[in-house]
Amino acid sequence: MAAIKKLTGLMWSLLLLTALSVQAQTRQISGKVSDQKTGLPIPGASVTVKGTNVVTATDADGSFSLQVPQNATTLVFTSIGYGLFEMAISDIMNVQLNVSEGNLSEVIVTGYGSQIKKDLTGNIARIKAKDLENVPLPSVDAALQGRAAGVYVNSQSGKLGQAVTVRVRGNSSISASSQPLYVLDGVPITTDDQSTYGGAMNPLVDLNPNDIESVEVLKDAAAGAIYGSRAANGVVLITTKRGKTGKTNISVNFQTGFSEATNRVGFLNAKEYADLFFRAAAYSDEQESLDPNDPDSYTTYARGFLDYFSFGEWSETSTANYDWQDKAFQRGGFNQADVQLSGGTDKTKFFASLQYLDQIGTIVGNDLRRLSGRLTVDHKANNWLNVGFTSSLARTTTHRLPGDNAFSNPLQASALPNITPFIDPNTGLMAGTPPGDVNIPLYYNPLIQVEYADFIQEGYRNFSNAYASASILPGLSFKTEFGLDLLAQDEESYYQTQTVRNVSTAVNGLGEYTTAMVFNYNTNNYFTYTKEFGKSNLDATLGMQFQKSLSKYGFTEGQDFPSNSYQKIASAATKSDGSTSETEYAFLSYFARANYKYDDKYLLSLSIRRDASSRFGRNSRNGYFPAVSAGWILSNEKFMSDIDLISFLKIRGSYGSVGNAEIGNFPQLGLFTGDAGYAGSAGQRPSQIANPDLKWETTDQLDLGIDFGLINNRISGEVDYYVKKTSGLLLNVNVPATSGFNSQVKNVGKLENKGWEFVLNTQNLIGEFKWSTNINLAFNKGKVVDINGQVIEGGVGSMNRVMEGQPVGVFYTVEYAGVDPDNGDALFYLNTDNNGQLDKTTVNSRGYGQAQRIVSGDPNPNMIFGFTNNFSYKGLDLTVFFNGVTGNEVNIYGMGRYSSASFRFEDNQTKDQLGAWTTPGQVTDIPQARLFYNNGAQISSRYIVDGSFMRLRNITLGYNLPSAITKKLKIERLRVYASGQNLLTFTKYPYWDPEVNSDDFDSNIAKGNDFYTPPQPKTILFGINVGL
Amino acid sequence: MRRLIYIFLAVSAFTACEKKLDIDPNQSISQENALLTEGDVKVTLIGAYDGLQSTTQYGGDINTISTLIGNTEDIRFTGTFAGLADIHKLEITAPNLYATTTWAGAYNTINRVNNVLSALDKVTSSQEERDRIEGEARFIRGSLYFELVKLYAKTWGNGDNGTNPGVPLVLTPTTAITPESYLSRSSVAAVYTQIIDDLTTAENLLPETNGIFAAKGAAAAMLSRVALMQGDYPTARDAANRVIESGVYDLEESIEDLWFTFINNGGANPGEYIFSMTVTQQDGVNNMNTFFGINTSAVPGSAGRGDIKILPAHLDKYEEGDKRGEFFQPVGNNLYTRKHLDRLGNVLVVRLGEMYLTRAEANFREGTEVGATPLKDVNTIRERAGLSPLGAVTLAIILKERYLELAFEGQGLHDAKRTRSAWSGTPWDSPLLILPIPQREMDVNENLVQNEAYL
Repeated sequence: MAAIKKLTGLMWSLLLLTALSVQAQTRQISGKVSDQKTGLPIPGASVTVKGTNVVTATDADGSFSLQVPQNATTLVFTSIGYGLFEMAISDIMNVQLNVSEGNLSEVIVTGYGSQIKKDLTGNIARIKAKDLENVPLPSVDAALQGRAAGVYVNSQSGKLGQAVTVRVRGNSSISASSQPLYVLDGVPITTDDQSTYGGAMNPLVDLNPNDIESVEVLKDAAAGAIYGSRAANGVVLITTKRGKTGKTNISVNFQTGFSEATNRVGFLNAKEYADLFFRAAAYSDEQESLDPNDPDSYTTYARGFLDYFSFGEWSETSTANYDWQDKAFQRGGFNQADVQLSGGTDKTKFFASLQYLDQIGTIVGNDLRRLSGRLTVDHKANNWLNVGFTSSLARTTTHRLPGDNAFSNPLQASALPNITPFIDPNTGLMAGTPPGDVNIPLYYNPLIQVEYADFIQEGYRNFSNAYASASILPGLSFKTEFGLDLLAQDEESYYQTQTVRNVSTAVNGLGEYTTAMVFNYNTNNYFTYTKEFGKSNLDATLGMQFQKSLSKYGFTEGQDFPSNSYQKIASAATKSDGSTSETEYAFLSYFARANYKYDDKYLLSLSIRRDASSRFGRNSRNGYFPAVSAGWILSNEKFMSDIDLISFLKIRGSYGSVGNAEIGNFPQLGLFTGDAGYAGSAGQRPSQIANPDLKWETTDQLDLGIDFGLINNRISGEVDYYVKKTSGLLLNVNVPATSGFNSQVKNVGKLENKGWEFVLNTQNLIGEFKWSTNINLAFNKGKVVDINGQVIEGGVGSMNRVMEGQPVGVFYTVEYAGVDPDNGDALFYLNTDNNGQLDKTTVNSRGYGQAQRIVSGDPNPNMIFGFTNNFSYKGLDLTVFFNGVTGNEVNIYGMGRYSSASFRFEDNQTKDQLGAWTTPGQVTDIPQARLFYNNGAQISSRYIVDGSFMRLRNITLGYNLPSAITKKLKIERLRVYASGQNLLTFTKYPYWDPEVNSDDFDSNIAKGNDFYTPPQPKTILFGINVGL
Repeated sequence: MRRLIYIFLAVSAFTACEKKLDIDPNQSISQENALLTEGDVKVTLIGAYDGLQSTTQYGGDINTISTLIGNTEDIRFTGTFAGLADIHKLEITAPNLYATTTWAGAYNTINRVNNVLSALDKVTSSQEERDRIEGEARFIRGSLYFELVKLYAKTWGNGDNGTNPGVPLVLTPTTAITPESYLSRSSVAAVYTQIIDDLTTAENLLPETNGIFAAKGAAAAMLSRVALMQGDYPTARDAANRVIESGVYDLEESIEDLWFTFINNGGANPGEYIFSMTVTQQDGVNNMNTFFGINTSAVPGSAGRGDIKILPAHLDKYEEGDKRGEFFQPVGNNLYTRKHLDRLGNVLVVRLGEMYLTRAEANFREGTEVGATPLKDVNTIRERAGLSPLGAVTLAIILKERYLELAFEGQGLHDAKRTRSAWSGTPWDSPLLILPIPQREMDVNENLVQNEAYL
């Protein structure tokens, strides 16, 4: 290690020496940029001295002037919508740009640099601002859904601002995080949950998606290896908007809309419920030879139950029905106002934005408000130094919902029998509100929580970044960046005495206050060298990165308040609990990369990164992550020049090694923790068993791809095949609990992901009526290769399991065999091993214990796709965007064990239970209803269902007013639009929403669980955008 | 030249970063530094009590499981926790959550105890202090092995104790996972030998009184239970007698005073409690309350899920005028025991009342009158319940008195097993009344054998 340090030091000194010999000499160039077809000037085009940061932009009549170094040879011209153009330097340069050739000339952001799309040898998906803006989603990760091949996004629930599952090319970890690394303007930002209440929150919600210029997803090892030990799950690079030279552009956008939950589930009405309840009770009486009139009989119990839980209102003839499920929902709303200003001169450019977002959820009690602003300034200090600065501040306030597995989750109201009136006739208050009987309805009435408790999370977030970029020699430049991500959050809750049935400590009021402060800073320092010699182009990068993140947490709890009017802990007679804690980590990294191009045909790229981290054991602190990739642009070869059909063709391949370091902060140490106090005395306990050899997980990835363009690139696309092999999986290896520990973190285990990705862009009509289509489609097959014999389970009913030879987290459970037509018993297949064959003999509930589990489903989709059509005619445009997943299953046992369960419990039942078995010979899939008996509600494949769906994710119709009108109005442009989100869902899923990952059960391996999880909203929006 | 200075500054800014990677945790300390002083040993002992008090142990589940298991005679269980519902209906499977967490929680606590015992040489202030610490640690370990062997193995005397598998015995702290960590089940006899060794040592070492922590009487009371389980009546009798005669504990005058330790007594134990788990607002949960309790406006401070409803048939077991038969709380059309309504009530482990009944039973069986006659001891308990004294007792009367007195306190199942009586209609030796070795434990350790009902 010392040797490496010395070497690095030497390298820096050498570079400094070279820099010493530089003399600044410049000359003046001027010219004009215009459109090749129309001859009209192009304002705002950027003009760059190749290989340097010397740049300017054209003014309103397309002209520019620029001081360039004496030895500069080439200028590069770029402008949105036009192809990149390079030209040898002369004193006066008049340049004509061609309209863009598809997206091949797009500039793609890579780690610590950028590259032209057609020169890429790695796999990077780019999502443009247009696809992220103005969708009614508070965080950018959710907006990536269906936009990039191989990037699987699951929004998890309809709760606002909650965590989103993002998987790039499958799940490549079991215990460590599988979420990608998010890098915002060069800074790896904090994206892990900082909240203490309910499910995980999403810290990306603090970033205004309308501030984003582009999002790049680095998918293969060639693209990701420059991020070393942190790139195994893919890297998402987010680049924010910056100012452009020219007239100051003012854009004002306002949108408003409303939303409803995408779906409701059919539950029994009061009469159906009572009838089925008596049927179930009659069975149980018969079973235990009880006279239905016996006071201890189930029938007597049922009658008493119906009477009690209806406040005495229920009778055989009553028709009252109280739809409790309906109470969980409300009409949501969405209002957003944006102002953006940008512009600048040759020397100084700026971008500024302000946004206010006010979103009301479709579940009662849920809303989110965000106020955010950003200012970005870029300044050319002199002909060799550019400096810049960006800073944003956001405040996000969320009224949160509890975790799915809480009685206070509003959707759990669906479990309440519809016999219970909403209002307690004795008090005129909501059922269950003291001083009325708090034990009515059947479970805690979650609406009491909505009315008498608050849980507010407020986050303040600052993203800042400053850079200086210096041209040292022709072709050689140095950039230093310092960025920080400061997250300050508090959560404040108060539970009034009325909530006591659910929050037993709220008997005299309960207040809680938590804080989280995450200070995360980062510096990148790197040299870039660009050189053209003969037909060769070289582009090299060398640098270092240091990142440190410190998190501090605080918690205070108070009980016994004078009254509900006092809700701050200052008024609590008992300060019942309190805590502070702190954790931190650091990464130190060096990296190098070289991209070489010969004759615009042959591409080669090499990169390496060395990472050291505080997270790893002393015996294995440094890791090296190399990658190599190559490409061949066949269409530039002579032998292809005659084939008119093919306008572009490139084959490429990459291989490299990346790591995953997201395993928490001190997993390698043997620890004691001082949290084991008893009855007022302090105590300690052994809390973790050591592993000094612990290190990152390693993923080796091969990627082979073809990029093509046909018929002048009217049809273009990409095909990729990849193989990702992950080894040294960080596993919580189960150890015998008799040791006093449950598990030890070790680098054991292997898994792999293989898949295909397809991207197809077509311009179907290019006349006045334009129609283009984008399709992305990806197939991924994950397989756990080796887990060292560990049994790793999770999810509702522990049905998710990690098994060798299967994808991560498959549903492993007893197989349901339907209903015995003779007696209504639920049946299960034994599936015991019978000479290599599974024994398909069936058993009923009493034999359930003997039935063996089998793989009954997979929460990971086989195929994910996005499908977009854009139409435009004159000022009108229409975008229709579908996305979907197929081949995955969802575990509905969370609701099913209670509500599709033949009166295992007293919960209201789903409508399908009306089809329960009643008479011998009857063929049905629903077992006989038996009160308090477990007839089919056992954990089984009965509750594993198809989760495939396709959604009309977004449809937007817009109209740009003609310039004749806007001129009269003295504005630049005016656009009005209407859009719909999630308006249609095509699925066979029986509960609320197939796009689900219940927050209280969510982990890497526990995907696809539904536990009264709120569904996604469908939203209709109207917007207006004015350019001044 | 100027630009070179800037660049030099930028480059030199990040040369000393390597050191910044040495970061230690803030809430934890390394195991090498955890047990160096007497103070360290004492806080680890407190940590062992914390483990003992956890909801999966004496904080509730140990007694909840043995009260609930197969008890359809006294209880209607309407809760939604499938693991408990299965225990109630005797539909237990090997992955049962409660079987799993009670097992793991017990061994986690035993490891804390073993850490204490491994570092006794650090206790140098006085011999008394060292004895007290060892005594408390041995009491906790012995009690937990006793609970484990009762829940997870065949009853003492049901077949050959020397070959019936008990539970694995771990007597040293775990500092690394080694092949020795993959233990087999020791025999029932070996486990009982260890329990008696731990509890006897504890009784010898512990002081007469020890605040809320285990004292001499607690170890003796636990020993009396062990001996009853083994049918060793003289030992049971003498241990119970030592507790009674010590004069440290007093019978409460009314049933009501035995409970509601937080609501009525500000968290202090009644004089009758020999050992209990203290629950404070800061710390601890009464998990008996979670399942047996219910929130009712009739009892301010009450809480609970109301999952365990007492069947009216249970009330028929009490004589007319028995205050214990009235110690039930009607809520709606359901009935709950009043023993576990207090949300922050201390969780009782053993009380003096039981010692009178143990002494009575053992004296009766042995035909002795150590301390008092069986009749006198039984009448002492009956009088407190508001019943008239009896003129004579039989074994059946003593056992029934014990059943009613200790109802819903977690002792009934084990009393049924040791007296070879059916438990709620299920034969005492039914394999269904024994918990499974947790599936996760079977999966991870191939040296374990599973119990009969779960093969």
